[in-house]
Amino acid sequence: MSETFVVTEHLNGEFQDITFEMLGKAKSLGGNVTAVVFGSMKDKASELGAADAVISVGGSDDYNPEEYAAALKSLLNEKNPDLVLVGSTSMGMDIATPVGTALDIPVIAYCQAIEASDGGYTCTSQLYGGKMDVESKVSSPAIVMVSSGAFDGESGRVSGSPSVEDFSAEYGAGKVRFKALLSPEAADVDITQSNILVAIGRGIGSKDDVEVAEELAKALKADVAGTRPLIDAGWLPKSRQVGKSGLKVKPKVYIALGISGAPEHIEGMKDSSTIIAINTDKNAPIFDIAHYGMTEDLFDVVEDLMDEL
Amino acid sequence: MKVIVPLKLVPDLVEDLEVDGSGKALDKEDLKFKLNEFDDHALEEAIQLKENNGAEVVAIAIDGEGVDKLLFTALAKGADKSIKITGADPKDSHQLAKIFAEALKNEGFDLVLTGVQSVDDRDGQLGPILATYLEVPVVSVVSGLAVSGNVITLHKEYSGGFMAEYEVDSPAVLGIQAARQTPRYTPVSKIRQIQETATIESVDAGDAGVGSGSEVSKMAPPAKGKGAKMLGSAEELLAVLKEVGAL
Amino acid sequence: MLSSVEQIAFILLTVICMALAYRGFSRIFKIVKSGAEDDRSDRLFGRFAKALIEVGIQKPVFKSRPIVSVFHAFIFFGFSFYLLVNVNDILEAYVDGWHTIGSTGIAGAFNMFSDLFSVFVLVGMLFFLLRRFISKPKVLEYNPNVLLHPDVSAGGIKKDSLIVGVFILVHVGSRWMGTVFQLAASGHGDPMLPTASMAAPLFASMSADSLNLAIHVSWWLAMGLIVLFIPYFPRSKHIHLMIAPVNLALGRNTHKGIMDDVIDSSSPGADNLSSLRWTQVLDAYACIMCNRCQEVCPAHTSGTPLSPSALEINKRYFINEKGDSVLNEAAGDSLLDYALSLDAVWSCTTCYACVEVCPVGNEPMMDILELRRNKIFDGKMPDELGEVLRSLDEQGNSFGESARKRSRWTKKLDFEIKDAKIEPVKYLWYVGDFASYNQGCQEISRKLAIILNEAGIDFGIIKKGEKSAGNDVRRVGEEGLFEALAEENIETLAECDYEEIFTTDPHTYNALQNEYAKFGAEYKIKHYSTLLLELLESGTIKLKKKINERATYHDPCYLGRYNGNFDDPRKVIEQCGLELIEMPRNRENSFCCGAGGGRIWMNDHDDMTQRPSENRIEEAISLGDIKYFTVACPKDLTMYTDAVKTSGNEENIEVKDIVDFVLEAMDLREAPTIETVDLENSV
Repeated sequence: MSETFVVTEHLNGEFQDITFEMLGKAKSLGGNVTAVVFGSMKDKASELGAADAVISVGGSDDYNPEEYAAALKSLLNEKNPDLVLVGSTSMGMDIATPVGTALDIPVIAYCQAIEASDGGYTCTSQLYGGKMDVESKVSSPAIVMVSSGAFDGESGRVSGSPSVEDFSAEYGAGKVRFKALLSPEAADVDITQSNILVAIGRGIGSKDDVEVAEELAKALKADVAGTRPLIDAGWLPKSRQVGKSGLKVKPKVYIALGISGAPEHIEGMKDSSTIIAINTDKNAPIFDIAHYGMTEDLFDVVEDLMDEL
Repeated sequence: MKVIVPLKLVPDLVEDLEVDGSGKALDKEDLKFKLNEFDDHALEEAIQLKENNGAEVVAIAIDGEGVDKLLFTALAKGADKSIKITGADPKDSHQLAKIFAEALKNEGFDLVLTGVQSVDDRDGQLGPILATYLEVPVVSVVSGLAVSGNVITLHKEYSGGFMAEYEVDSPAVLGIQAARQTPRYTPVSKIRQIQETATIESVDAGDAGVGSGSEVSKMAPPAKGKGAKMLGSAEELLAVLKEVGAL
Repeated sequence: MLSSVEQIAFILLTVICMALAYRGFSRIFKIVKSGAEDDRSDRLFGRFAKALIEVGIQKPVFKSRPIVSVFHAFIFFGFSFYLLVNVNDILEAYVDGWHTIGSTGIAGAFNMFSDLFSVFVLVGMLFFLLRRFISKPKVLEYNPNVLLHPDVSAGGIKKDSLIVGVFILVHVGSRWMGTVFQLAASGHGDPMLPTASMAAPLFASMSADSLNLAIHVSWWLAMGLIVLFIPYFPRSKHIHLMIAPVNLALGRNTHKGIMDDVIDSSSPGADNLSSLRWTQVLDAYACIMCNRCQEVCPAHTSGTPLSPSALEINKRYFINEKGDSVLNEAAGDSLLDYALSLDAVWSCTTCYACVEVCPVGNEPMMDILELRRNKIFDGKMPDELGEVLRSLDEQGNSFGESARKRSRWTKKLDFEIKDAKIEPVKYLWYVGDFASYNQGCQEISRKLAIILNEAGIDFGIIKKGEKSAGNDVRRVGEEGLFEALAEENIETLAECDYEEIFTTDPHTYNALQNEYAKFGAEYKIKHYSTLLLELLESGTIKLKKKINERATYHDPCYLGRYNGNFDDPRKVIEQCGLELIEMPRNRENSFCCGAGGGRIWMNDHDDMTQRPSENRIEEAISLGDIKYFTVACPKDLTMYTDAVKTSGNEENIEVKDIVDFVLEAMDLREAPTIETVDLENSV
């Protein structure tokens, strides 16, 4: 029977969504599912009911790249599972490839789909800014980095009482030291609570067009959000960032202006009830997940719309 | 402090991407390559370190079309040295990391800044693999760092706007998410000038290793889902907004 | 005649003042000479002859502000004549028997002129003093965000104006009064001195001794003062009366549309007085601080921190403040610290209006262009500009779009446009960035293609390989990228087989027409308005319908002011049957849309109160009952289409390209409508 390890992820003492998404997927692949937990998270093992077993490698409660990678390496070295699922996330990134490379286990990143196939797995990664699906075949053992939001979290979010085993792991040489967790700055608006969001991306011409979005938002009683490049450019505050390194939002209506739909962004908004995308590039990936689309110049559309309102 | 920045060219996503006859790779004919945007951030951060704290910055890249310009551009930006690794054709991040690692072992370094990821790193990001080969610690998704002696204090980003502060002993590899300021544009006249006065060091590629141990079996544009219902006018959009309750 | 004591005293005073003045003037010479090289030594005689004639007829002054200019002319002619008057008065003081009062003939005419010009000068000067100190016109004020030298903020210009004004009033007034006293002493008037004769009876009751004293006092006030004033000249803006003619004579003789070459490619541009060309240093002395340049500047008008006059004034006050150290360390101080702010450097639209309007031949825009070169070379520029330059470098367009998609706009046409790289064409259409990539402009490009196709014109485009001509790349200061683009475009054009080039873009026109010559490439190139006019006049394009509407026309800077083509687009409009109504600012005085010089790639300044394009739309609307705002430039099309919307004037005016009119007037029965083609399969 195949053995799948799910490397759980937690922050502030809570398992992250990706944990349950991976557990759900692991379960659907069949075989034995073991959740690997760090720090004192074994105390919350009951939340990991989708796993058959929980192995605690201990270590500090605060994520530490060096320590967690060393612990996982020592664990895998001994247990040799067929498949290891790690989040294709900030935390997973520091663990998956170092362990895989050190143990000569192949790693596939950005996975959106995983299927068992003869003696191994077929994984589909979304690459090139979401413009290509790339399928890879690996033989087991393999480490697969799972994109957040790729799988449904609900089937993995089951409480239960998996067996809990302590594993005495190695933790590395202490060259990386955790100092502090910094919470997001208090924001004027909590966009995760917004009913309607007007989101802008690189496709808007200039900073002045932010005003156009703001006007539209005002008319729709919506809030303004944006993609990473805009936030980096200082056009919007960090608290308005939607996506992988920003916030995950699920508004009733998400209006994407000039957003091409890079996977990092889609991860943060694809669960919105209705997505309306306006982008002049008809090939933009955003149109694949949007419910409604327009390819007109967004400035014109918004102006026309404002006239209609 | 000696800071090395490995640079990598990736397909420019502005172009339409096509799959070639094998069905497993991009059609090279229509590809145009540009510097991985996160590598640009890594280079900028390195130059910022040099300008603010003093550091020796070395840019390194694997030979190929456009690499000379890339390396001269790095010099024009303020790098102290550019190295071109010749005779290599890495097929994935693992081989790329291995080639860089061999070169870096000879060159010596205190800090390696890589772009946190690239659009084609199917078998994992360069930074963590490189760090493993170099046997030094790695932290990815870094935005903002400060150096004091051989200790680097940095911010690592998580999702949801959370960040964590870490201390890392050098030598180390960091995957840079964003430089402290937008990567600077380098004027062509400066690059042309550097081309006349500076030289790029060349080194032979070392062992590329066996790679990631996985192969691409198929490449295709994402299957079009239901796709968006396309609207033609503001009136239609208005109707939709009313229908979904935005008005 | 003066007493001997007075004669000696005046000579002593003159010697001392001249010595002081010499120091001041020689310092000016050294400071100007310390600027970077600039060769203006060609045809010196012709240059000065032309300048003196133009100054003589006050041509540069009358370019704007007609009323103010009339009063300036009063002072100018009066003061010029006063050179003779002063010589005469010295002769009167020293040569026994030299006397003009009561004379006829030449001396009588001299008296008549001196009498009348005195009044002109006094009236003129009173006008300027009242204007500056009582009516205080807004044009003499600066936007609050403009960088000003502390002495300027502290009212230095007012002080200087007051000193100069009072000096002129006293100098001329005393001379006139002296004549009055002399007439009073003589007991009768002189018909050749009409105004003085009118005033003389008022003093007839004074004793002979008092009158004699008054005559001497007024002589000293007139002549002593002018001698005393000479050392003040080098510190005052009044020195413009000497430097302005020189500055006009030594102006640029190269075509307006050609930027100066970089002097030192290892450190391009300028950041301080010693790296500015000496002619640009001279500008600071020629400046009379009238702010005409600021008044026409779209950047200042829209509330940004750029004032071309403040730039010249600050340079001047900095030089005054630093004294001799301007020749040493202060010459290296960054202009950004005292002359203009970095934001101001990036606010310029390079519209050339400031240069065009300047009555003394100054070119403040050139300082800005050199500063941009310097900043770009150091990699210091607005982030968004860096991104555009990167796109221009990588893809040859400013849109961040694939170079391969440049001719995609043609796919919606139901006929095929020739590729000039593949087959010979009569006309090669250099389309340009905006007309190729901007959605709104693409529509106009397609209409133009339909017109030419219908008229049976043999034309083609470069489907792959055309890149931005680089006009604005050069004007943001990226000389290297401009050169690279020019070299590549020249190479591409060499591969094409064509007779003539035309372009839809005035910026492209300027680059190809004027600036590619330095790479050895000269083209026969037309703006599309010229081509359309030719085809209309020759009957190749047949118009079947008159458009019975009123329209106004906006001159694009790089077509009109830079290249003198004002008439062709107007004639096209009129050929289409429209009634053309001019805006107050038209032709050379056209007001920039705000997009030029790379501004279209940058964000609006936070302080912007009204976009230049919105200001212009308001100007058009103020004409009343105008249906169309006509443009002949793709950037104008986007700027004004936006401005009409953002200023809420969609009901009041509609933006049209001249192409719209021609197509409509052709009244094609089976209008080859622009089809909506399945884009999916069209590339």
